[in-house]
Amino acid sequence: MDPAGSAHVECGRCGASMQLPSTARTAVCPYCAAPAIVERPRSAASVDPAFTMGFVFEASRASELVHRWARAQGFFREPGVRLAKVEDLRGVYLPAYLYSAVARSRYSALIGEDYTETETYTTTDAQGKTETRTRTVTRTEHRPLHGEHAAYVADVLVTASRALGNAELEAVEPFDLRAIRRYDPSLVVGWIAEDPSMTAAECYELARREAVEKVGASLHGFMPGDSHRDLVHQTWLEQESLDLVLVPVWVLALRYREDRGLLRVLVNGQTGRVAGAVPWSRLRIALAVAAALLAVAAVVAAVILLEPA
Amino acid sequence: MATACGRCQGALDPEDLRCALCGLAVPEGEGSARAPDAARAEIVRCVTCGAAMAYDARVQAPACAFCGSVTRSERIDDPMEQASHALAFTVGPERAREVLRAWLSGRGIFAPADLATNATVDHLRPLWWPAWIFSALADVWWTADSDHGAHRSAWAPQNGRAAMRFEHLLVSASRGLSYEECARLAPGYDLQRAAPAEGLLSATPAGGVVERFDVQRSAARRRILDALTSMAGAEVGSRYVPGSRVRNVRVSLLLQSLTTRRFALPAYVLAYRYEGRLYRAVVHGQDERMVLGESPTSVWRVLGVVAAVLLAVVLIAWILSLASG
Ligand SMILES: [Zn+2]
Ligand SMILES: [Zn+2]
Ligand SMILES: [Zn+2]
Repeated sequence: MDPAGSAHVECGRCGASMQLPSTARTAVCPYCAAPAIVERPRSAASVDPAFTMGFVFEASRASELVHRWARAQGFFREPGVRLAKVEDLRGVYLPAYLYSAVARSRYSALIGEDYTETETYTTTDAQGKTETRTRTVTRTEHRPLHGEHAAYVADVLVTASRALGNAELEAVEPFDLRAIRRYDPSLVVGWIAEDPSMTAAECYELARREAVEKVGASLHGFMPGDSHRDLVHQTWLEQESLDLVLVPVWVLALRYREDRGLLRVLVNGQTGRVAGAVPWSRLRIALAVAAALLAVAAVVAAVILLEPA
Repeated sequence: MATACGRCQGALDPEDLRCALCGLAVPEGEGSARAPDAARAEIVRCVTCGAAMAYDARVQAPACAFCGSVTRSERIDDPMEQASHALAFTVGPERAREVLRAWLSGRGIFAPADLATNATVDHLRPLWWPAWIFSALADVWWTADSDHGAHRSAWAPQNGRAAMRFEHLLVSASRGLSYEECARLAPGYDLQRAAPAEGLLSATPAGGVVERFDVQRSAARRRILDALTSMAGAEVGSRYVPGSRVRNVRVSLLLQSLTTRRFALPAYVLAYRYEGRLYRAVVHGQDERMVLGESPTSVWRVLGVVAAVLLAVVLIAWILSLASG
C-alpha cells in the first residue's frame, strides 16, 4: 500500500466499491450514505491509534470562533481576512504522536552572583569645581557550574500527518489530555479520520527535538544565582514511549482575496483555540511607512524653518 | 487493585489510560485484534435500531440519528477520588464542646474576660476531611546558592544529587479546611490505626459530613508530585547544601517508588457566637489538645496593656533620670 496513493474499499453495507485515500480511516459510502470505519488487513504500515480525544462542539461554533478571530486581526494584516467567507469547514481527527520519556542531562553554565562595591568617582559641579564622591555599584561575579539533571518529560505532542506540519499543530495546542479516551472506532465514525502519513521514525525525531527543547527551557529555571550565561546541555532520552493519538481539529479555508490562494485556519476541536498564518498587508505597511516618513520630513522641515538664522 | 507505572512507579488505577505523573501509556488489557482480509468500510450499528451511528460533538459520544440513542462509555474520563481508609473519632462531640470552652478561657490577655462564659456554640459538625498520605523514594538533583566557597559575592553556586525517602507525608485535598489548618492538624493523627473507609464512614455520627476529594485524579497526582518537589527542596536546603546561608534551592526528581493512600480524617468544625458575631474553630477528632480557630480580642484590654507598658516605660525613664541626676 502506497501511503500517498489510494485504494479500493468495499462498503460493508451495500457492497459498493469506493476509491479512498489509503490513509483514510473513516468513509461515507456514496451509494448508501452510511458513515463507516475503514478496516484494513493488518500490516506494518497501519497501526490502530491508542487514544483519541473527542470533538466537543459543532461546525457552527467553530465557524463562529473563526469569525471572531478574523475580526480581531491587527491593522497591518490583510484586511480581507476580517470579512472573509468561511469555505469548506471540516472536522478532522488528525493523527499525532504523544511522546514521553525520562530525560537525563549534563549541563554546564556560568552562574552570575551579584555583589556590591563602593567606588569613588569625580564630577564637576556647576561652579566648575572638581570633587570626589563615592557610590555603590552592583557587579557580577561569574562562577562555573557543571552538573546533572533528570526529569520526566510528558505530554509532547507531534503531528503524524504530512498534510499538516508540526508548527501548525503547535499553534492550536495545548489539548486537554485529561479528556483522553482509549481509541474506539465509534468515537470517530462520521468524521474525517486519517492514518499517519509520516513514519514513526520521523515522528520520533520531531518529538525528541521538542523534548530536548523542553528540557533546555527547564534547565534555565534550574540554574541558581542572580543570573547565568553560556548554559549548554547534553540530554539523553530513556524509557521513551510513543503513542498514536487522534486529535480533533477543525480545518477550514478562508478566501480573503480573489487573486490569492485560500488561507488555512485550524481550530482546536476541544479548546476552541484558533490559529492561521494571516499574511501582512503590504499596502497598509507601505502606507504607514510613507506616513511616518512624511511626518519625520515635516518635523525636520519645521525645525529648519524655525531655527533662528 | 492498584498497579504501578512501569516508568515512575506512580500508582495506576484500573481505569487509568496514561500515567498522570510521567505520561507513560497503560497497555490495553485484551488485544482486540480483528483484521479483515481486504479493506472494508464497516458501519457502527446502533444497538437499539440497527442504523448507522456517528460520533456527535454535542453529546461527546456516538449517537444514532434515527432513534436518538447515545452510546455512553461506562468510564468517567477523570473521576473524583474517594477515600480508601479512614480514622475513627476518638474525641466525642460533647468532649469537643468542653475542649472548645477550655480553649476559649485560655485565649490569653487580649481576649475578653467573659469570652468562655458568654460565647455560645452555634453548631458543631463532625467532618471527615480528605487527604492523600504517601510514601516515596526519590532521586533528587539539586542546585542552590550558599556562602560555602564564596569569593567576592556572598553567594556561590552549589549542586548535587541525593536519594531521599519520604514517609507518611500528608497532602490535603480539602476545600473546607485551609491548607494551614490541615498542616497543623496532620501530626495529631495516628495513621497506624486506619480502617477501611466504607465501614467507618457509613456509621457517620449525627450531622456528620464526609468531604469529597476536591480534585480529579490526574490533578491529584500532580499535586502530590508538587508536594514531593517542595519537600525535597526543603530537605536539600536544610541538609544537603554546604554552608550556613542558603538561597535559590531548585530540585528535579525521578521516583523510585511511590505509594499513595486516600484518607478521610476526623475533625470537628464548630461555630460559636460572641456578642452577635460568629467565629469558627476546629477541634481535632483524635487529639483534643489541638484546637485551631479565631477568637475575638477586647479593644479595652489591648488599650489597657498598651497604657500599662507606656506607664512602665515612663516610670523606668524617671527612675533612671533620678539615678543619674
Ligand atoms: Zn454503501
Ligand atoms: Zn509514570
Ligand atoms: Zn438507533
